[in-house]
Amino acid sequence: MTEATARKPRIPIPGVAWLLIALVAGFSIGAPGFASGANVSNITQQATVLLLLALPMTLIIMAEGLDLSMGASLSLCTVVLAATSLATGSLALGIAAAIVTGTLIGVLNGALIAWLDLPPFVVTLGTLGVAQGLALLVAEGRGTTGVGGGLSSLWTGTVLGLPIPLLFAVGAWAVFHVLLHHTRFGVAVIGLGGNREALRLAAMPVRGSLIAVYALGGFFVGVAALLLAGRLDGGHPTAAIGTEFDAIAAVAVGGTLFEGGKGSLGGTVLGVLTVGVMRNGMNLMSMPSSLQVAAVGGVVIAALLIDAVRGTPRAEPA
Amino acid sequence: MNAVATNLSLTPEQRAVLSRVLVLILLGAGIAFASSTFLNTGNLLNLLRQASLIFLLASGLTLVVLCGGLDLSIGANVALSACLAATAMKATGSPLVGCAAGAACGLAVGTVNGLLVTRVRIPPFIATYGTLWIIHGVTYWYMAGESVHGFPPAFRALGSGYWLGVPVPVYLMGIVLVLGTFFLQYTAWGQEIYATGANTEAAALSGVPVLQRRLLVYVLSGGMAGLASLVFLARLNSAEGDMGEALTLQAIGAVLIGGTSLFGGSGSLTGTLVGALILTAVLNGMNLLGISANWQPLITGLIVIASVGADALSRRRRSD
Amino acid sequence: MSAVARRPIEPLTAAAPAPLFALKGITKRFAGVTALDDVSLDLHGGEVHMLMGENGAGKSTLMKVLCGAYRSDGGSFEADGRPVTVTSAADARRLGVAVIFQEYSLVPHLDIAHNVFLGREPRGRLPGLIDHARMHREARAVLDRLGLDLDTRRTVEGLGIAQQQMIEIAKALSQQARILVLDEPTAALSDRETERLFAVIGDLRRDGVAMAYISHRMAEVFTLGDRVTVLRDGRRIASMPAGEATADELVTLMVGRKVDMSYRRDDRPAPGARVLEMRDVSATSGIHDVSLHVRVGEIVGLAGLVGSGRTEVARAIFGADAVTSGTIRIDDRVHRGGPTQARGHGLGLIPESRKQQGLALSRTVGDNLLVAGLRRLFPSSLYRPGRAHEHGASMISRMRIATRGPRQVSRNLSGGNQQKVVIGKWLLAGTRIYLFDEPTRGIDVGAKEEIFRLIDQLVKDGCAVLMISSELSEIVRVCDRAYVMKEKRIAGELSQAELSETNLLRLAMHHD
Repeated sequence: MTEATARKPRIPIPGVAWLLIALVAGFSIGAPGFASGANVSNITQQATVLLLLALPMTLIIMAEGLDLSMGASLSLCTVVLAATSLATGSLALGIAAAIVTGTLIGVLNGALIAWLDLPPFVVTLGTLGVAQGLALLVAEGRGTTGVGGGLSSLWTGTVLGLPIPLLFAVGAWAVFHVLLHHTRFGVAVIGLGGNREALRLAAMPVRGSLIAVYALGGFFVGVAALLLAGRLDGGHPTAAIGTEFDAIAAVAVGGTLFEGGKGSLGGTVLGVLTVGVMRNGMNLMSMPSSLQVAAVGGVVIAALLIDAVRGTPRAEPA
Repeated sequence: MNAVATNLSLTPEQRAVLSRVLVLILLGAGIAFASSTFLNTGNLLNLLRQASLIFLLASGLTLVVLCGGLDLSIGANVALSACLAATAMKATGSPLVGCAAGAACGLAVGTVNGLLVTRVRIPPFIATYGTLWIIHGVTYWYMAGESVHGFPPAFRALGSGYWLGVPVPVYLMGIVLVLGTFFLQYTAWGQEIYATGANTEAAALSGVPVLQRRLLVYVLSGGMAGLASLVFLARLNSAEGDMGEALTLQAIGAVLIGGTSLFGGSGSLTGTLVGALILTAVLNGMNLLGISANWQPLITGLIVIASVGADALSRRRRSD
Repeated sequence: MSAVARRPIEPLTAAAPAPLFALKGITKRFAGVTALDDVSLDLHGGEVHMLMGENGAGKSTLMKVLCGAYRSDGGSFEADGRPVTVTSAADARRLGVAVIFQEYSLVPHLDIAHNVFLGREPRGRLPGLIDHARMHREARAVLDRLGLDLDTRRTVEGLGIAQQQMIEIAKALSQQARILVLDEPTAALSDRETERLFAVIGDLRRDGVAMAYISHRMAEVFTLGDRVTVLRDGRRIASMPAGEATADELVTLMVGRKVDMSYRRDDRPAPGARVLEMRDVSATSGIHDVSLHVRVGEIVGLAGLVGSGRTEVARAIFGADAVTSGTIRIDDRVHRGGPTQARGHGLGLIPESRKQQGLALSRTVGDNLLVAGLRRLFPSSLYRPGRAHEHGASMISRMRIATRGPRQVSRNLSGGNQQKVVIGKWLLAGTRIYLFDEPTRGIDVGAKEEIFRLIDQLVKDGCAVLMISSELSEIVRVCDRAYVMKEKRIAGELSQAELSETNLLRLAMHHD
């Protein structure tokens, strides 16, 4: 028996890093005010919300799933936070309500997908509609501001000189790193995408892990809502429309595959920065938001094109 | 055909369509019971008109799904094609030019999707999710927040006209149903599409040109979106950047409610037709009963989940 | 097959100890089909109990019940004479049952150590965490015992089928089970790896482990087995010590009738012109400078160890893999292109994995039979369901496919009949050059003979056949001559006179 040469898993991190460098260089030249310290901290702060969505999305996609409802759910959670805080006068209750709401939607997604064996994108497309509808109904179509009580400090405050959103982001990354690389749950996530039958035969909880991965996503949507609500000092039913698209884009650009259980958290971080840099740069260049979205879509396709050309297959040949 | 005629037992697919027709009838009865205006000729014709639009859009999508793919960009395609058709018509004053522009745009988008999926090997839902947002952005930017309206009556007849008392789009629906079903059931291409969707690798190893067939269905899907955009434009008599946002979900709903399997290889256009009718009836019923439009995406989502779930359960029971 | 010392058979006395594990009267039903009907099986420590039977007899189902993957509908279990319940994989594991499956249960993007310890990862300091160091250490120990020289940190993705099977075996061994189930473990292994496995089985025997071993290979049964049980149609037909059984008797018990094993390669016309020729072909799949030819009326064998490149040769001919250099000629004309062109030139491929690559299981038998012949049977591209139905029905009767008709869903056919559908598909396409990749793998004895007869008839009707097989005896029986591959190249060619198992093996394993 000859030893096969050990190959390192080919996760194309260099690809997205080049892209990021190119974007930073391009915007530094073309966008006024891009390359300033204040703007850099701006970018990282705004990227934290996306990171809180993209990290669980990475695990979901590694498990061969998808969650299209994250944006609508995020909006709903901000609405719930604002409404509960105003109704009860307690910010703490509002925060709890937001996290519970997000988690419940995640559990709902997971249950429908795991127990009824329904395709994830259909289910989450449905829950997208449900969450969006609920958000509009609860908020009566309008946004709420002026919740106060320290809400906005979640966005602007600092602890030991570090901005709170950054702490959230680092904490989330640490949690996911440990979960994915050092726990049985992480093994299950990779197995869900790689070979579910193997998990079943090894007496690992397939359904439970699937529900858990979506519930985890829902929980972090709730956490992200804290930051977003802090930024808005309230809630808005359409504040986060399309955010799941940015999250999926970040994950895809970062090198996680949609089949097979192969993924990278570090790649997702780079992907989030890439999307964040793009949004920021385009804002500074006064690009209309609809074109921005088009551009992000283009970048995802470009990243996939680059991978295809470099010979890193992302999908089974048709 | 003799062998087919003498064998009276229905295929599982035919049984699925039949059960959905039953659902439609029960649904119609239920709504008629709840609302006195449901069965008015005017309302029913309106319902048919709306269902035709959804069907036209969903017919191309049915082909894509049958072949094992997905096209999430059709709604955006409709918007872009309609806007291009509108401005072309305004600029030249000729409905023909407008129609050509709309159709060409639809086909072009379909081709791009098809190439991304077959040549660049991007998974279909990512590719079309990406093109969806790109087209969305381009349409917005192209229309620059303005709207175009007022088109020649000859064109408007396409969407809002009647012929022999029946709305024009219904005839289009019928033509597409007949031609499409013929294509699927009575041509070699149709059989190859089913084979590609059921097991792409086995089809390829049987000599079926799978990449060509997949490209074909995306082009056809784009073309149908182009056609639908003309009917849509003709009915609305105006074009703006954000038109038709609800159409994608409704078309997907029609396909899934109609029983076409997301895994590919099984389904029919007739099923999609019944699915479109069911969906439109529900939305119509909600309107008549005064339920706010905010509920519509919610209800559509729930119906889709319910029908896909029912299919999954019945499939599991059958294969156990 | 190397010789492993067989244990002398001890006479069965009334005072025999209770079996380590006993299945009593197990019944299992699936949607109206009774897969197991009151089947009992005793597994004694330190014994290899062979399970034999045709495909569909219930062997794998019984083992799946044993390991908790299926819940039985009737019957009971005993461990060391005490009643126990087995309703889940966790139950089975707790009772000390480990299984080596035929369908590989490895996760591609996890490393070897993770795969070996899937579901049983050693706990780290904090609850929920994994102790990586210990996991890799223990995985290394198991791999060494099996003589596997692989880094435990590399992912399973990209490993050859034989190595994956060995990791499956490592997985089961690491569970230190008292009861080990082996489901055709040597199907994908080379002789050297098989030797290794048999040595380990010898160790396990001495350690008192009870082993249930499913095999289709008669030689294995007599080399390894202490006891043999034959299943047929979900029932236990007979059990006996291996020493008291004969091959003919076992086959008769399995099939329930006298099987005509008289197929001989005789009265075949002399081969005609060269119809397929490869000259110095290399491909992206790794094969190098492959040259071979096949003539009309010949069955040419392609032998070699697993991983030697045989499937890749067939795929290169058929256009499923890209050719990087050399030429392929059909009827002396250069042939290029993908499967569609190959089909057009009269080629047909019956792939290794009929369920994944040969058939669309969700479609009907008729649909599967027609798919390659659409262009030939309907040149105008207009498809006539009635005519298609007739073509399908006539092919079904011509090949004696056991199915209700062209409208039956293909998933429900047995392995042998599914294979006939794949062959029939190419018959309807007017194929003249057939590429068979393991045509009788996973097919029961009776159906195997039928397939051989079919292949024989093909060449008698003027076609040419290239047949890949891992069963050397098959190649010797069926083929006119054979090429042998080693490490992605042709190692040699054997003429009819030279064709023997010894020569085939020698070429496959040594340089000459």
